[in-house]
Amino acid sequence: MNKIHNLGEAAEAITAALAAKQRLSTIGTGSKAALGRRVDYDGVLDLSAMCGVVDYQPEELILTVRAGTSMSALEAVLAEAGQMLPFDPPDFSRLLASGAAGSIGGVLAANLSGPRRLTAGAARDYLLGFEAVSGRGEFFKSGGKVVKNVTGYDLSKLMCGSFGTLAVMDEITLKTLPRPETAVSLLFGYADIAAATAAIAAIFASPHEPHAAAILPAVLARQAEIDLGTSYVVIIRLEGIAVSVDDRASNLLASGFNAAAHARLEADRSADLWQSIRDVDWFTSHQGAIWKLSVAPAAAAPLLADIGARFDVTAYADWAGGLIWLAGPSGPELATALRAAVDAARGGYAQLIIDKNGGADQVPPFQPLPAAHFALHQRVKAAFDPYDVLNFGRMHDGI
Amino acid sequence: MEMPAPDQSVIDCQAQICADLRRILPDNAVVESEEGRRAYDADGLSAYRQLPLVVALPETVPQLAAVMRYCHSHAIKVVPRGAGTSLSGGALPLADAVLVGLGKFNRILDIDYANRCVVTQPGVTNLAITHAVQADGFYYAPDPSSQIACSVGGNVAENSGGVHCLKYGLTTNNLLGIEIVTIEGEVLRFGGKHLDAGDFDLMGVMTGSEGLLGVVSEVTLRILQKPAMQRALLVGFEDTESAAKAVGDVIGAGIIPAGMEMMDGLAINAAEDFVKAGYPRDAAALLIIELDGPAVEVDALIDRVATIMNAAGASSLKVSNSEAERNLFWAGRKAAFPAVGRISPDYLCMDGTIPRRRLPDMMVRMAALSQKYGLRVANVFHAGDGNLHPLILFDANQPGELQRAEEFGADILRACVEMGGVLTGEHGVGVEKRDLMGIQFTADDLKQQQRLKCAFDDGHLLNPGKVFPQLHRCAELGRLHVHQGKMPFPDIPRF
Repeated sequence: MNKIHNLGEAAEAITAALAAKQRLSTIGTGSKAALGRRVDYDGVLDLSAMCGVVDYQPEELILTVRAGTSMSALEAVLAEAGQMLPFDPPDFSRLLASGAAGSIGGVLAANLSGPRRLTAGAARDYLLGFEAVSGRGEFFKSGGKVVKNVTGYDLSKLMCGSFGTLAVMDEITLKTLPRPETAVSLLFGYADIAAATAAIAAIFASPHEPHAAAILPAVLARQAEIDLGTSYVVIIRLEGIAVSVDDRASNLLASGFNAAAHARLEADRSADLWQSIRDVDWFTSHQGAIWKLSVAPAAAAPLLADIGARFDVTAYADWAGGLIWLAGPSGPELATALRAAVDAARGGYAQLIIDKNGGADQVPPFQPLPAAHFALHQRVKAAFDPYDVLNFGRMHDGI
Repeated sequence: MEMPAPDQSVIDCQAQICADLRRILPDNAVVESEEGRRAYDADGLSAYRQLPLVVALPETVPQLAAVMRYCHSHAIKVVPRGAGTSLSGGALPLADAVLVGLGKFNRILDIDYANRCVVTQPGVTNLAITHAVQADGFYYAPDPSSQIACSVGGNVAENSGGVHCLKYGLTTNNLLGIEIVTIEGEVLRFGGKHLDAGDFDLMGVMTGSEGLLGVVSEVTLRILQKPAMQRALLVGFEDTESAAKAVGDVIGAGIIPAGMEMMDGLAINAAEDFVKAGYPRDAAALLIIELDGPAVEVDALIDRVATIMNAAGASSLKVSNSEAERNLFWAGRKAAFPAVGRISPDYLCMDGTIPRRRLPDMMVRMAALSQKYGLRVANVFHAGDGNLHPLILFDANQPGELQRAEEFGADILRACVEMGGVLTGEHGVGVEKRDLMGIQFTADDLKQQQRLKCAFDDGHLLNPGKVFPQLHRCAELGRLHVHQGKMPFPDIPRF
């Protein structure tokens, strides 16, 4: 373990690894160590000491922080200014049993976003610029410290979701937004998931500006002390100034959307519920495989009907159906079925998040890439890390 | 502006290349005559003109792929072109390159309300997307001012913005999927109707890559429900500093308007002369602030913003009470460019971004530069996000004025970077700002960007001469010498 305090030290360590033909992994708070493939590395770069706020201009919606800054420290700074990271980063410390809420660098490296992602965008939409050292051991920067910028390639997008396989980032500039004054949730009950997704489509076709939409089966809803007496519950979050939230809530409830029952959750209970949805709280004690699926929202209902008929799974959907969290048995059978289902849904991915039975060794955690995409990924990797020094194989064998 | 030296051996083969392309493409899809090619000799940056070697106008993705394969196998350069509205010369032809026009890709393929997206061919105009879905209450949010003409494929290539991107983001934030054709003629899809890549975000990196990485052949766009109400405020200030501070106060109060535009005195008066929108002629700065959303929310926020404006020292304030009045507020801003065109034979439109708090400093700097170069400058800003559009007034018929105007523009962009900003907020680098890239980026920064280019196009065949001031061979960029024993600080313990 090599504790890195700045990018200069990172460059030295990477250059040394290049010379010694060694492979390194990177770690922040270690909260996401369970994600990705199991690979043995020659050394570890510990980035947790690269922390702290460099510059924060709330009225410019600009925050520059160091990559190892913990999410709890960051959120405290934002809360003090009445702002937030709009993509609602999840806290997987319980799901992944790490005990650490993670660092901003880790959140970006995994491109993790919560329920607001549906309407506000993902982590990748809020990274404006960064400084980094590539796997070549060379310093470079990209993007800027302003919210509107198209100068040069948008490498920020590439860094988000690359799991540290391209470069070590520091001095991350993010776009922030004001926190909404209030947020409430509306609950609508349905007999089946197809009716639930259709209702969400109708709600999003209304001018009442929902910010988040999830579908819970009754078994999980009851764990959140919600019981509408239906098999599925649609949860709609409304945010904004109180007068607007109340007006939209009463309009939506009056419309009814063919629900068998409906209810309203006030701010505190609403916040708790969305935090559970975001952090996948209901699966923390599941002893099999936990999957994250991203598909077209309308594909959720047929996909879950198909998988549910063949496997013993519990699942719920966020992002209006576009994000499915699924707890099921370990092993390659479910993996094969899920990946075939994603292909049948014409796009998306199924990622194995964790398998507490150790099944992750039998299943590639990331959706396998078609040959042409794999080749391009390899070339992109080589453009940043030609000798495979950084987190080699963490996402895919050979990248 | 120096472009890569044309390859005479390719130019000499023009007739053969045209004949070969005619075997790949339908009749009339290969433009060989000088008269025909003339229509493609420039984009929206019309100060630069160049006849292309030949213009290819494929109609299908297989045809496009075949053209790319042909060019790649013969090492012929390719310049992609959407509607040709780039303001930075992104679609400027090269004398030895095939110009591939996407104008025939003009069909919307799928309107999918269940997934709230539109799948379209790249040659469809930006505004046509909104037109296709507005009867059902939806719209496509990014609205570059050229939206009546610019194509969505070009929007992807340039990562186009617009007046509403403070709240709704740029093109990159409203894209779900793209299909591209690589220089080798391979067809690849990134994203789709789902959210997030799950792997390297190659869609994200393609967006705004200015036609250097691939040709966009299909686009999946996110559509949004049209806001129930839009209202605007028209606010005058006696000085720019107060106006800039007022913009910060609105955001500081937790309000993100759909748009916040600023105009300076010269722009206000030029616009007022042209469209008579009722702008305060004596104001030094004018803000147009638009709020959208549910009616009760907009009404409440209009009151809050008006209070903030008065507290910030507004000298005049009007609130729109009808769509007609709101449109009138915008009429002057939307006509600002032609309005300036009426008071000057020519103008250059710049596009830097600065941290908004530096706006008063920038106004002082621009006034000094205006004196230095003896040229007037009118300013319109996307004030919410600090994106400047200074319009430098000049007369191309006066010897030396174009060059002076360009130097003035370059100085403004230098000042943007010096104040912590960037060279371009939404128009792209293209050829226009290519040689200024070294102000914002180090040689190593630019080399790293070009290594990414090599992953897509290692022969530099796609749109060369744009974005990067210096072309490096990919083999040279890839070289990395690691000398054991020559490490800096060799005695630091490692692992």
